[in-house]
Amino acid sequence: MKTEDLLRESENLLTAVANGEVDAFVIGRDDNRRVLLLANAYQRYRQLVERMQQGAVTLSGDSRVLYANQRFADMVGMPLSQLYTIALDSLVSVADRARIGTFLLISARDSRMELDLRRRDGTAIPVVLSHAAVSDGYTTLLVSDQRPLQWPALAGDALDSIRIALEHLNRSPGLDPQAREALESISEQINALARMSEEMVDVQRPPPHVSASGG
Amino acid sequence: MTTENYDAKLGEIWELRLYTAGQTPKSLTALANLQRICDEHLRGKYRIEVIDLMANPRLAKDHQIVAIPTLVRKLPEPLRRVIGDLSDTERALVGLELRRAT
Repeated sequence: MKTEDLLRESENLLTAVANGEVDAFVIGRDDNRRVLLLANAYQRYRQLVERMQQGAVTLSGDSRVLYANQRFADMVGMPLSQLYTIALDSLVSVADRARIGTFLLISARDSRMELDLRRRDGTAIPVVLSHAAVSDGYTTLLVSDQRPLQWPALAGDALDSIRIALEHLNRSPGLDPQAREALESISEQINALARMSEEMVDVQRPPPHVSASGG
Repeated sequence: MTTENYDAKLGEIWELRLYTAGQTPKSLTALANLQRICDEHLRGKYRIEVIDLMANPRLAKDHQIVAIPTLVRKLPEPLRRVIGDLSDTERALVGLELRRAT
């Protein structure tokens, strides 16, 4: 390559870096090259991980927490700041410790394991762990909360409150007939939503003919 | 480049290779900008190949890539590299020799 071209490319590189037009660099030589991402390249994924409804945790080779998202911290009932470097073993029951050790050794993508996470307050929540990625000696697990959804019941409570408020309004003396008609229409829609919410709660309950042991 | 050479190059099929690092914001921006530049200046006379160096970093060796994204003009010769997300259209056009430096 001509000196003139080399100088132009060097200037090109400096301009691109100075303008923030690159977010990764290649380091190393020959067959030992690696790509290093700048922090802003991670931002979108980080936001995704922070906002998702599953717990995510990255473990070191000796199964200590290197990274966890807020959802995982909520699951175990601990502040994120206290989770870093804590041993995963300390978050599961003694009986599950040997199982989780084996599970981490398998390191197979998409493998899953059910266990109870021990919360800081002494309660336990059933979760499913699944391998998301294993690289450079680090293991990333996704943690899915297996407790029944709470929101249909909460929605039902909220709808009940609205219904009571509407009935109260509807009994107000001197209410404009058009306003009363509108309130009745809203009440009907609230009742329909309440019925849907009850049906969703029912769907989550096991059918009455299935025994508790699952036999 | 002389005017004759410049016009002759525009008559050829351009082979462009964009080196990216997965779906980082700059890589996606570079691809979108490249598509726009090609549509405007090389209508129908270009081929774009995207090489994801996250998937295979060894391919950086081919064109001595040090920063990502980098666009390489393989054809017409001589080979040219433009580093960055191509958001500075003027710099990208000059780098690709689609416009003479002023």
